[in-house]
Amino acid sequence: MIAERSPANTWIVDDDSIYVYGLKKLISIKELNTQLSHFVNGEEAICALKKANEDHNLPDVILLDINMPVMDGWEFMHEFAKIKPRTGKKIAVYMVSSSVDLNDIHRAKNISEVSDYLFKPVRINQLKEVFDNV
Amino acid sequence: MSFFEKGKLSGDDVHLTPLINDLDTGIWKYNFNTREVKWSTGFYTLLGYQVNEIECDAYTFFEHLLYHGDKPFFFNAINNRIAEDTPPLQLRFLTKKNGYQWFETTIRKLDDEHGSIVYGSLVNINRYKQDDLLSAHSQITNDGAFKTARLGIWEIDPQNINTIVLSKQVYDLFDLQNHLKLSVEEFISFFEPPYRPVLQNAINHTVEDSRPFDIELLLRSAKNNMLWLKVKAVPVIDHLGKCTSVKGVIQDIDSEKRKLLKLEQSINLLTDQNRRLQNFAYIVSHNLRSHTGNLQFMVNLFEQTETTEEREEIFSHIKTISDSLDLTIEHINEIVKIQTEITKERKMVELEPMFKNICSALKNNIETINAHVEGDFTQCREISYIPAYMESILQNLLTNSLKYSHPDRQPVIKCYTLTEGKHIYLIFEDNGLGIDLDRYGDKIFGMYKTFHQNTDAKGIGLFITRNQIEALGGSIKVDSTVNVGTKFTIRLV
Repeated sequence: MIAERSPANTWIVDDDSIYVYGLKKLISIKELNTQLSHFVNGEEAICALKKANEDHNLPDVILLDINMPVMDGWEFMHEFAKIKPRTGKKIAVYMVSSSVDLNDIHRAKNISEVSDYLFKPVRINQLKEVFDNV
Repeated sequence: MSFFEKGKLSGDDVHLTPLINDLDTGIWKYNFNTREVKWSTGFYTLLGYQVNEIECDAYTFFEHLLYHGDKPFFFNAINNRIAEDTPPLQLRFLTKKNGYQWFETTIRKLDDEHGSIVYGSLVNINRYKQDDLLSAHSQITNDGAFKTARLGIWEIDPQNINTIVLSKQVYDLFDLQNHLKLSVEEFISFFEPPYRPVLQNAINHTVEDSRPFDIELLLRSAKNNMLWLKVKAVPVIDHLGKCTSVKGVIQDIDSEKRKLLKLEQSINLLTDQNRRLQNFAYIVSHNLRSHTGNLQFMVNLFEQTETTEEREEIFSHIKTISDSLDLTIEHINEIVKIQTEITKERKMVELEPMFKNICSALKNNIETINAHVEGDFTQCREISYIPAYMESILQNLLTNSLKYSHPDRQPVIKCYTLTEGKHIYLIFEDNGLGIDLDRYGDKIFGMYKTFHQNTDAKGIGLFITRNQIEALGGSIKVDSTVNVGTKFTIRLV
């Protein structure tokens, strides 16, 4: 018997409510082993991260959108890099966008804290891979 | 008959005869009283004749050998009894084989018992004279070439380091009638102010470090013509390597330079447009993709769900996507319209009535938040603009100010015009939420960029406003302080 793995703690940082709805729906239909939290922009997610760090409740995976109001994905990464040394946990950050602008892709790949750049809509096997890598 | 024939010389001078005959010089002598002519052997040789091959007489000398054009000149010199010493003369004589050639003769006068005598020594200077003439000719040809090339020469006078020697062509380029010597300072003052330090520095460097230069400068000539010139110079150095003077050329490159500048301008414009077009393509692709992606997503989910409730929920999302897609396409249309409407004619737009119309159209929004809106167009009441653009600009900025008003105070929105020189400015000021420009900067004019947590923020208004303003050659800038307010300054023309 293989022991049941604890579900991956996944944060979605995205202002597109339809996309987030779909993602949640898909995960529940496919019964992927993950627990979802949703934040509508970078600022909310950063605040939550600081708190989660104190509560030892940090996420395993962050699916981060680029274009968001208040604090976008780039700014989030900037803030995240500041927090990261204080966290004792490996957090995999995936930038997720429908932008096919090569500049965006290049920029994302140059941020060492970013694990990968995924195109919207994210495919189910990509999601599986993301959660399996945890 | 030669007068230095053997035996004719008297006494001690006899031994000189062969020496004189050896010289590549001819000696001639003319007696005014007897009209008798005498030539040395060298004289014959010089002209290519054997001794006694031609008759030695006044007629042969003056009418046959001497070029008729030079006769008045020669006669004038030998008949001039007053001057003791006549300077050497350059004359043409007919040679046996080579036609007329140039000779130089000294002229000496002597009065003795035989009468009034004039004599001289003759040398062939044809080669030098010809070089001289050729170079004089090439000077003329060069003059033509210099003129055609609109090329002149300038030089800092080595005698007086503060003055400049200019060739005629430079005076022509400067539109100066009288060819006065200019001081270095005066010379530099002919160039437009921004180029003066450039030239001064270049000259200084050449004088101090012997560094040559090649620069392009804008000249304002004496007749107020603006002309692009290429000014080149090299140092003139002494045997110790020290710069004693600066020497160079000045060339009119006006038409080439202007073409180049125009070309550069076009390239910049094209690059800018290209960049915007590419950016636009990315934005369009991004926004359409996010909708179509969601649509695909929902349709897939729809297929995978079975309960009616779930399917209804998903379908409601599909409807939302369809509406968003429609809106996005509408926005794209609006942006494309900016480019097509730019060809429309500009008309005189009266600002006050237009602003009042927009205020009444937004009456509800203004009253809901009890905003105080002021319009002051006394500095500039009307402007030649594309009316649809002006309407859109005013409406977008007013809507923007109303949307981001501060909840803790009565919103005050001021719109007014300013004129400064040949520019007309439109100012839009509010005491609203303000925006952190250090953080967002120029992004606020970007498409689909929203910064506040406003649900009705679409991120399209300011993008369109900026495009309309820039399409008509203006610019927009923003000043803002968080919780104090925002000020948009628009240079319309």
